[in-house]
Amino acid sequence: MPIFDQGYQHWKGPLSSHAWRWFAITRHGVRIGFQGRVFRMVLLVSLLPAVALATALCLWGLIERQSDLVAGLVPILVSFQFLGPGVATDPKMYRVEIWTLCFNLFFSIELTLSMILIVLVGPSLISQDLRFNAFPLYLSRPMRRIDYLGGKLGVIAAFLGLAIIVPCLLTYGLGLLFTFDLTILKDTYRLLFASVAYGLVIIFVSGMLILALSSLSRSSRWVALFWLGIWLVSGFASGALEGLQVAQRQRAHFQRVAEIQTKRPADETREERRRRVEAMRADQKSRVETMQMEQMEASKTDWRPLISYTANLSRIGRQLLGTDAAWQKLSEMQPPPMRERFLAQWLGPQYPWYWSAGVLVGLFGVSAGILSLSVRSLDRLR
Amino acid sequence: MKPAAIADVTANSFDSPADRGAPGSSRLVSLWTVYALTLRQHLHGKRWMVIAGMCVLCAGLVAVVRATAPDVPSVELEFDIAFMFIPQAILPLLALIYASGLVRDEQEEQTLTYLLIRPIPKWALYSLKLFATLTTAVLLVVMLTLLTYVAIYAGGGTSFREVAPRVLRAASIHSLAVVTYCCLFGLISLLTKRTLVVGILYVALFEGLLANLPFSIRLATVVYYTRLIAYRTLTFLVPLPIDPSRFNDLAAEVWQFDVKTDPGLVDHPQLHTCLIVLLAACAISTLLAAILFSQREFHVKTPEKS
Amino acid sequence: MTETSDSKPIVEFHGVSKWYGNVIGINKLTLRVPAGVTGLLGPNGAGKSTFLQLATGQLFASQGQVRVLGQSVWNNSTINRQIGLCPEQDAFYEWMTGWDFVYTSARLAGLNRPAAKDAAARTIEAVGMTRHQGRAVRGYSKGMRQRTKLAQALVHDPRVLFLDEPLTGTDPVARHDLMTIIQRLGSEGKSVVVSSHVLHEVQSLTPNIILLNHGRLVAEGNVRDIRDLIDKHPHQIVLISDEYRKLAGRILEWDDVEGVRILSREQGLMVETRQPDAFYSRLPALSLEDGLAIKEVYSDDDSLESVFKYLVNR
Repeated sequence: MPIFDQGYQHWKGPLSSHAWRWFAITRHGVRIGFQGRVFRMVLLVSLLPAVALATALCLWGLIERQSDLVAGLVPILVSFQFLGPGVATDPKMYRVEIWTLCFNLFFSIELTLSMILIVLVGPSLISQDLRFNAFPLYLSRPMRRIDYLGGKLGVIAAFLGLAIIVPCLLTYGLGLLFTFDLTILKDTYRLLFASVAYGLVIIFVSGMLILALSSLSRSSRWVALFWLGIWLVSGFASGALEGLQVAQRQRAHFQRVAEIQTKRPADETREERRRRVEAMRADQKSRVETMQMEQMEASKTDWRPLISYTANLSRIGRQLLGTDAAWQKLSEMQPPPMRERFLAQWLGPQYPWYWSAGVLVGLFGVSAGILSLSVRSLDRLR
Repeated sequence: MKPAAIADVTANSFDSPADRGAPGSSRLVSLWTVYALTLRQHLHGKRWMVIAGMCVLCAGLVAVVRATAPDVPSVELEFDIAFMFIPQAILPLLALIYASGLVRDEQEEQTLTYLLIRPIPKWALYSLKLFATLTTAVLLVVMLTLLTYVAIYAGGGTSFREVAPRVLRAASIHSLAVVTYCCLFGLISLLTKRTLVVGILYVALFEGLLANLPFSIRLATVVYYTRLIAYRTLTFLVPLPIDPSRFNDLAAEVWQFDVKTDPGLVDHPQLHTCLIVLLAACAISTLLAAILFSQREFHVKTPEKS
Repeated sequence: MTETSDSKPIVEFHGVSKWYGNVIGINKLTLRVPAGVTGLLGPNGAGKSTFLQLATGQLFASQGQVRVLGQSVWNNSTINRQIGLCPEQDAFYEWMTGWDFVYTSARLAGLNRPAAKDAAARTIEAVGMTRHQGRAVRGYSKGMRQRTKLAQALVHDPRVLFLDEPLTGTDPVARHDLMTIIQRLGSEGKSVVVSSHVLHEVQSLTPNIILLNHGRLVAEGNVRDIRDLIDKHPHQIVLISDEYRKLAGRILEWDDVEGVRILSREQGLMVETRQPDAFYSRLPALSLEDGLAIKEVYSDDDSLESVFKYLVNR
């Protein structure tokens, strides 16, 4: 007919499936997040570690190719003990280890920046919907709770993915390009998967936790403060407990030394005394190594780092990336007397990684439980 | 439709406002009500759980240490928990919890209107809300410090006569620190919407980093002055394990006070100077914030200025 | 509006403009609001809330001067003793009971304990909330919340009341009760400025209006007087008669009649004229002389709605 109805017309086309309902919420949340100037700045800053990582991998690629561009740099790195002499002569032998440590450092910085990103974008995700009673707007549509929560989690995943996983992939590719050696793919592909897996662990555990906190209060300020409490106060508390434990161990060690030193026979001759003092001086050198060894042994069963939220994430990261194995291999370049000291200096806490995994799984479960209770279906809304 | 009749209104002769009751006493009533209302806002509902949680946290931490490392000297435990953990983690967080939302919470809840339309000068409104916030924060800090010290010294053999002065001094130092933080964060909350982010950056970078540097820049940090006050009023001497007759000055070592070359810390501000500086910082922050508050508009419905 | 020597304006705006960045809220507004009940009208975004916030000292005029009861309102807390505001936003201290909220409002206004208790009880009774005063506000219905908001505005017995959309979201019973309260306040000698975009409600409260649109003053005064001044739109008068076609023919002979439209369904005519009084005066003669019985005569033109439509939509 020649005259067409200009009024509202129902959509006659196909509707998207349930599998994609969450995407509308994610897309909206990402758009809102990007409107914040402070957030954009922090996101930009969180990409800087990726730039540093890319630079490090590119330099390493040049070192492997023994390029003239870095000929002057290698001796400087050796003199500052960033590289061992063995690494400089045969860099390909230590390729995996250097890449692992570079990625480990990247993740340790990125973890802190991710916590800040979450503080900026996470608290208001559900708390604002609670405050303005927006749940009926979502749940009255053909949308389930899981779609709603998936969409909100998608917002966190999008931003953290942009800060962590995407830079990882790009810098990996850049590192490959600068090496000009296809064998590097065979050597380091596990690192790529481990990085992505670690990124996903950070995203899902932190994402669920911030969503759970956000569902507990209508004020996003309080949610942000809770998050800061979990992140910072748990870190401080863990540090305080560890410090006290180390101090106690040192005290016990020095007490034993003091007992030995004060134990002298009453009828000690001059020669015996001279020999005893010489032995004490020689023994003094090994005291520090002994303490460090004890520290390393104790860290295998030390539960105190479990209190710190970020320490748990770091432990999982070190396990996935194989950081400890990398340090072990690099320690082989050190002279035997120095190896233990080297490891004590660079290895992190040695408690079983599955302790941290258990803590994180527990947090994930608690978060899921809280969300299940807080985000109610329409007929149960007050 | 018939036109409506104009209301029959008798002419008003407007008395001067002073004629409607005694303004002095009614002003005091208004001010007291603002103070009491803010106190109630801080304590109503589930917020007391936060308070209880914070009080229990430090004492709980001490209990864990006592259970797992019983040989740690009480003084060392006191230093680590009461003068490292609490001032660096708990006090700033507490101040952020209460002071960052001093005005912003009311503005977001849109209840600020009910205060702005009352016969209360705006600067007084802000000052009393801040004062109520300080009351809450100080009471909480005193409780927290008391519980922490009870956990540290209970059953440890140290007499009440020895511990009581330490508790009082610690509680006073913590109260002064939290009051200073609250005044600062109250001012920051009027200057920016992102009070939390600015507050955390301030605490982590400014107070956390700069205060530990042995340079003059630490004169601009709150934690430096509280450490000085603590050092000058308390002692943190721990016997050396290798020679129990000799003592290690924990505070000087950790806080980087060079007591070897300057045993009396002559190069550092004196006790009264520290107190004056902190109190002046509180006063200046409060004054600036009160002026800002009185000059600002608060948009609860109409659009904010771009 | 003419000022009598006894009634001074309660609110005065002199060349007031208010802008928010690039958005102009009020644009060179000059007016005087007299004592009594005045309706503040305008479509959404007209500047009504900005007007009320300027009048209550919550906002500072970018230009011009705002005076209430002869005093400047910005940073003048003393004048707030004379002013009561029922804000539009649905915001309370939700954890308080209704009684607590009104009592605290009285105390904030400076009343001592006995006076505040007495005032709270009276005001809560006046708005019909005595039965529910012990419940937390978060459990109140919309109508209860509006009544409680009105109570906090009245508790300190102000001289001037500003009510920002007081009937929004209320059910018919609550609306009727609130309008009765407002009418009573007006008859008790209080000055009330009621902001609304629900025209028939304002019409039943007062014929004195201020009409804003896009931040500008469009009209102020009595609805009828304003209507008379609107030259552009002729008045429309409806006549119902059995012989409406014959009547149409007679009426068309009159010079002041600009148009006639047949309303066959109602068996009547819609007559447009620029001189309604002269037209009305001729109608009885028409009926008597020509035997054209007129069953009904009415005009919607004097209504607020028609004035609003003419002025806002032009």
